[in-house]
Amino acid sequence: MTTSEKSGPIAPAETDYGTPRVAAADTARVTVDGREVEVPAGTSVLRAAAEAGIEIPKLCATDSLTAFGSCRLCLVEVEGAKGTPASCTTPCSDGMVVSTRTEQVQDLRRNVMELYLSDHPTDCDGCARGSCEMQKWARETGVAQVRYGLDGANHLHERTDESNPYFDYDPAACIVCSRCVRACSETQGTFALTVEGRGFDSRVSAGGTDFLHSECVSCGACVQACPTDALTERSVVQLGMPTRSVVTTCAYCGVGCSFKAEVQGSGADTRVVRMTPWKDGGANEGHSCVKGRFAYGYAGHEDRRLEPMVRASTDEEWRVVSWEEAIATVAEGFRRIQAEHGVGAVGGISSSRCTNEEVYVVQKMVRAAFGNNNVDTCARVCHSPTGYGLNHAFGTSAGTQDFRSVEQADVILLIGANPTDAHPVFGSRMKKRLRAGARIIVADPRRTDLVRSPHVEATHHLPVRPGTNVAFVNAMAHVIVSEGLLDEEFVRTRTEGADGYLEFIARPEHSPEATEDETGIPAGELRAAARLYAAGPNSAIYYGLGVTEHSQGSTMVMGMANLAMLTGNLGREGVGVNPLRGQNNVQGSCDMGSFPHELPGYRHVSRPEVRQVFESRWGVSIQPEPGLRIPNMFDAAIGGTFRGLYVQGEDIAQSDPNTQHVEAALRSMEMVVVQDLFLNETARFAHVFLPGTSFLEKDGTFTNAERRINRVRPVMPSRVGKDEWQVVCEVATAMGYPMSYASPAEIMDEIAATTPTFAGVSFARLDAEGSMQWPVTEAAPHGTPTMHVGKFVRGLGQLTPTVYVPTTERATRRFPLVLTTGRILSQYNVGAQTRRTPNSTWHPEDVLEIHPSDAELRGIRTGDVVELSSRVGATRLTALVSERMPAGVVYTTFHHPVTGANVVTTENSDWATNCPEYKVTAVQVTVATQASRARAGEAPEASATPVPAGAMARQRR
Amino acid sequence: MSTGEPPVVRLGHDLVRNFESLPREKAAEELATHIKKFWEPRMRHELLARIRRGDTDLHPLLVRAAEDLVDGDIDREEVREPSGG
Repeated sequence: MTTSEKSGPIAPAETDYGTPRVAAADTARVTVDGREVEVPAGTSVLRAAAEAGIEIPKLCATDSLTAFGSCRLCLVEVEGAKGTPASCTTPCSDGMVVSTRTEQVQDLRRNVMELYLSDHPTDCDGCARGSCEMQKWARETGVAQVRYGLDGANHLHERTDESNPYFDYDPAACIVCSRCVRACSETQGTFALTVEGRGFDSRVSAGGTDFLHSECVSCGACVQACPTDALTERSVVQLGMPTRSVVTTCAYCGVGCSFKAEVQGSGADTRVVRMTPWKDGGANEGHSCVKGRFAYGYAGHEDRRLEPMVRASTDEEWRVVSWEEAIATVAEGFRRIQAEHGVGAVGGISSSRCTNEEVYVVQKMVRAAFGNNNVDTCARVCHSPTGYGLNHAFGTSAGTQDFRSVEQADVILLIGANPTDAHPVFGSRMKKRLRAGARIIVADPRRTDLVRSPHVEATHHLPVRPGTNVAFVNAMAHVIVSEGLLDEEFVRTRTEGADGYLEFIARPEHSPEATEDETGIPAGELRAAARLYAAGPNSAIYYGLGVTEHSQGSTMVMGMANLAMLTGNLGREGVGVNPLRGQNNVQGSCDMGSFPHELPGYRHVSRPEVRQVFESRWGVSIQPEPGLRIPNMFDAAIGGTFRGLYVQGEDIAQSDPNTQHVEAALRSMEMVVVQDLFLNETARFAHVFLPGTSFLEKDGTFTNAERRINRVRPVMPSRVGKDEWQVVCEVATAMGYPMSYASPAEIMDEIAATTPTFAGVSFARLDAEGSMQWPVTEAAPHGTPTMHVGKFVRGLGQLTPTVYVPTTERATRRFPLVLTTGRILSQYNVGAQTRRTPNSTWHPEDVLEIHPSDAELRGIRTGDVVELSSRVGATRLTALVSERMPAGVVYTTFHHPVTGANVVTTENSDWATNCPEYKVTAVQVTVATQASRARAGEAPEASATPVPAGAMARQRR
Repeated sequence: MSTGEPPVVRLGHDLVRNFESLPREKAAEELATHIKKFWEPRMRHELLARIRRGDTDLHPLLVRAAEDLVDGDIDREEVREPSGG
């Protein structure tokens, strides 16, 4: 029996306390209906009652939103006070005595409910939402009939808005409690919804248009907040209410949101009805984005392949085979290659979309069964410089804070990241902090939403030119040092290398004035930004792939670490250096020993005492030399010394740079094994396809960007008959190295036994604690939310002179523009998941954003098909003329294989880690000629009609 | 811009550009240590073979660093701390 033939535990019921938790040292003791309860001072009577186990009827209140006091249902009587105050807006005071069910209060509630019901559909049996609070409170307040009748003026015939692919808005059921409007504002921070009109005419509106065409980002917070069935998931309308739920972790970005998977049925007949964010999730605290909440349908998409397949050559058709035959084919193929070409002729790539346990067994298979260190992971192409740079500076390959820390930040320095698109739930959290008064400096060539959007305005936007990050960060440090803004005590007591670094950074060549022409950042603006960052008092750096995916990605990470150390912004809440990881388990896949030079826990393979830990447990000798990185594997394949590759859950043919080079490498191999949900682009070059499991079927853990280890619990059994870790074990066993585990919990036990930072981690402890942030050790048994408190992991922080070395990829007369790539809200990575969901409604194709002056010079209009060419290749996209771009820079995404954005990206990479320089490619953009359209088999007039700018702009979301 | 260099030469020259601001001996030491820590043996062997063949396109600093590679084992102190990446 596979472990996932049984599904995870039923999620406990969540209590809605009515108003948010109050953080206060002082307390108040109150009596509610005779029950005493002690709460933090400032807590509402509504919440205090809930904490005492007494539920007061409410409609406009919910504990994720600030009290509003509009529905008049939560009225109570307070001893010694006049009237019947709303309990949601009445704070507790010490000694207060509250009565929630007096006759007077019950009469008032009954009257209020009657008024609501007089303008609300009465077909409760036909209502999709089984949790409608109207029904519940009608019964609770004892409304037997509506004295006013239902024939008066009402809204019962208003048309349902079905424009959004994921949820409906039925205005007939809306009571205008404003919970959706406040969720959109307070929780999500988009301000797409409003209440239009006054009195009887008051209606919730998506800015005067329908939901699909509004500013709505489909995060679903409004749907979750709605107390009636006015806003309801389409899936609930179609399938009815779920019957059970399992708490698990999202499979998209590195925020790692916890969700309650709500389902019907059991076993193989399990059907997901909806995903609702888990209130106790440490990373998301009850919020979600359009991907995590709604875009799970790919797991059941018809494209998914559920059976193993083999073929002797890539010219042949796939042949469905048994698991036994597929695994034997893999084992025999790899062993034959090794016999003919040497032990080092094969290798494996682990996936950041797979669990820690699945990744761990892949690196173990490579090291123990393949007998080499040729294992790498997709972090190679995203955050490997983070590992290198932060290890060098602090001694740990991870971010320094938890997400909650941003609530204590006074100044946020955001570099090369676009969290409102790529890490939306954390982006909302950041916006909430900004609305509360924190200031933000955005260093990014593009004018992203955090530069300016509703209720957000960056204090400084530094439009750093792609490829010049190190010059920029050095200029920031130069200002701090030359103007005496550094934290001398911190530098003296917590760091080493200060003398050399301070002399280096004080040189005039690093001044903002000297670097202005190179970086494109006005010197005055940069000086002001540096002063603001230094002033803090709590300044936090958040960054993304706009830092790492450069030829000096690792240097830039060290440069940011320098900045934080210079100003003492480490070792407490509200500060730090924080990578926003791209995929859900990038952190975990790195932690698990996926790098070719390191065993789990970032320990170099050359260290005999580390090898000994694993050798004694695994019963094999481990090679003491580093293995090949992914780009090295490609080079070696073309060179003829690397012939076989096991690819777990990655689409290297689409995601890696210089597609022609990658494809040539894959074609050179004799055995390419793809373990995936779909026949992806890489599978075109594969000889064996091993069907994988979706996150809904997995049992294990993911580790998010804040080092939080979260449980991934199976919602349904594996649809392919095996768990992925089992398949890997069986391949290893077939190759002659017996490998087996009774369960993924046992794999985690082995990780904990061999990896010091995971020493205290087990499935049982995670189930008990909810989640834990590594290191989890004897000294920190519950985990470590904030790193480097009082002392760095490496002892003293390392200040390093960060010499700016311009990239060799420069704009030229032939390729005068610079292409930079990124991600969009509705799509994810290579799009394998999101393209197979209605998320493509918002982004059906990759578009090329171009500044108006660059567009005008080339005669390009929004909607035109343009040719994008670099020195290595060319592709075609639809143009979007956009003032978000600076002149000289163009931007696109790589979500769609048909576009093949990586056809134009080059082999340039970070000097230390070989992370590709995706963010800098010299390109030219021209209107596609009729000849080129004809070559592609298109009618010449196919793109003659420009797409309206508005429609194109919406595709960005 | 692409140099058309063989991969190990291109990667080696990327390292040269990032270390060449250091004093020559220090730069050579850092470069050799990096290659020992992160390059798979066949890449190191290819670089050494090119040097032995008298490949004239190699930067002198890379050639100087390669002398340290011949010495073999990595300095234990260099791998005491995690290196990431």
